[in-house]
Amino acid sequence: MPARHLKFGIATAFAMLSAPIASAQEAPDADEMAALCHGGLSICVSATIPAARTQAATTPGWMSPDVGAAWAAGYKGKGATITIVDDFSSTSRFSGNFGIGVQTQRHGEWTREEASMIAPLATIRSKDFTTSSSVTLAPGLNVLNLSYGMYATAGYSPNQIGWSAEEASIISYATRGSAIVSKAAGNDSVAVGGVTNGQQDYLDLALVGKASAIFVGALSTNGTTTNKAQLAWYSNYAGSNPLVQSHFLVVGVDGSKTDLYGTSFAAPIISGYAAIIGSKFTKATPTQITNDLLNTARTDTLVNYNASVYGKGEASLSRALAPVAIR
Amino acid sequence: MREKSGSRVSLRAMALLLCALIGASPVVAQELTTSLVDIHQGSPLSDRARGLGNGGYELQSGNRVSFNQWYRASWVDMHVDLLTQITEDAGILWGFGTGEQGEKYRIEPSLKLGFLTQMHPSPNSTLSLSLTTTIGGKLTEKSCQADYGDLGTYSVNCRLAASQMAPEETLKYLVNAKPESQHLWLNYRVTF
Repeated sequence: MPARHLKFGIATAFAMLSAPIASAQEAPDADEMAALCHGGLSICVSATIPAARTQAATTPGWMSPDVGAAWAAGYKGKGATITIVDDFSSTSRFSGNFGIGVQTQRHGEWTREEASMIAPLATIRSKDFTTSSSVTLAPGLNVLNLSYGMYATAGYSPNQIGWSAEEASIISYATRGSAIVSKAAGNDSVAVGGVTNGQQDYLDLALVGKASAIFVGALSTNGTTTNKAQLAWYSNYAGSNPLVQSHFLVVGVDGSKTDLYGTSFAAPIISGYAAIIGSKFTKATPTQITNDLLNTARTDTLVNYNASVYGKGEASLSRALAPVAIR
Repeated sequence: MREKSGSRVSLRAMALLLCALIGASPVVAQELTTSLVDIHQGSPLSDRARGLGNGGYELQSGNRVSFNQWYRASWVDMHVDLLTQITEDAGILWGFGTGEQGEKYRIEPSLKLGFLTQMHPSPNSTLSLSLTTTIGGKLTEKSCQADYGDLGTYSVNCRLAASQMAPEETLKYLVNAKPESQHLWLNYRVTF
């Protein structure tokens, strides 16, 4: 199978639907000690105290308030490595705006920028998917962002595909749970792995049932309980397979603010969330972080929630970071 | 309000010692009298503890946790300040605070000790000086046990358990505050 050519085709297709995000909580902000002295000789506190906030820091409009909270806290993905496997070498470029001015960039440059905005302190690595060489893992937590698909004529089993070292390594990491794999669900308005124009995304199919793989669909906006979101018209959905449903998340991709649409710009949001969670729970395994994101997804922010459409629901960074119980 | 001291011997000894330390007149009043200077509930630290109760967050289930439940007390720190006059122009300031505690904090009981002295630079003016020291009264915030499911159970700062901060990092932000340890008061009054 001519995997290299297939990847090119898909990356471009995802790019045509060019970008954004989803979910809020109070964030701590460390005050300086001097600020904690009341009056002349009065009370001084012997440690800096984070003051509870009720509003998140200012973030671009396309981002979820949850991300603003992460920024304010200063824990922005430190210690995690996000590897963007994408197009960094083609001549194909398109325009968008992540709130920092209009830019014209390659697909990979866009997804990389988005992930770095969600988790600014994460180490971001770029892996051009035309190289086909194995993806290597960095020390610490690894997140692989796949905003592309591997399409071929429908009807094969993933086992029949002659994977390149690149995809073989990614599938292996997802199987063994050694890296979180955030995979864009696709933009064909079909179930994950479904047939469109006689073709299927075999990378989707190969990741079904893998421990640390997450399929990411796109909502047209970030959902709230009062303003529920719905699946973007182009986004692939979870479908009837329980193995897909249990590893499928959705996030807001508000193209009206960025001019970037597509599940390509949903996956980096989950990649950033995973990095932030990893910076909090430094001993957590990729599978544990994957499950944390999946198990804390919200369904009350979605229009007519149904697992076959939304899978586990809308990712909620704040809930993924919160305790189950406290006493 | 004025009342007799119940422990004259010890107070007299203390008074003599204090007079020696501050160079006040060695002539001690025949009758030591103790006056109630102030009695009140609450303090800056008490207010601080109450302030910690503002806010909250959602657990994974979406159930809201309010900090208020952890930082309220059934008894608010009460302070009693007394003045024992040892000469016409000098006296001992002393008192105590009861302390208070809530589920996740404690303010220790405190003891206040100091002196007040005054002089008359001119017939119609008075210069007063007081210095007090407080022992105890420290505010200490307690930690919580947060259960993060598969990610483990950690000792955390209750208020920061849902933040992006690593659980162990949150403990650095537990409040550990002392009341003012010394208070100097200088007053000059002219009557005309």
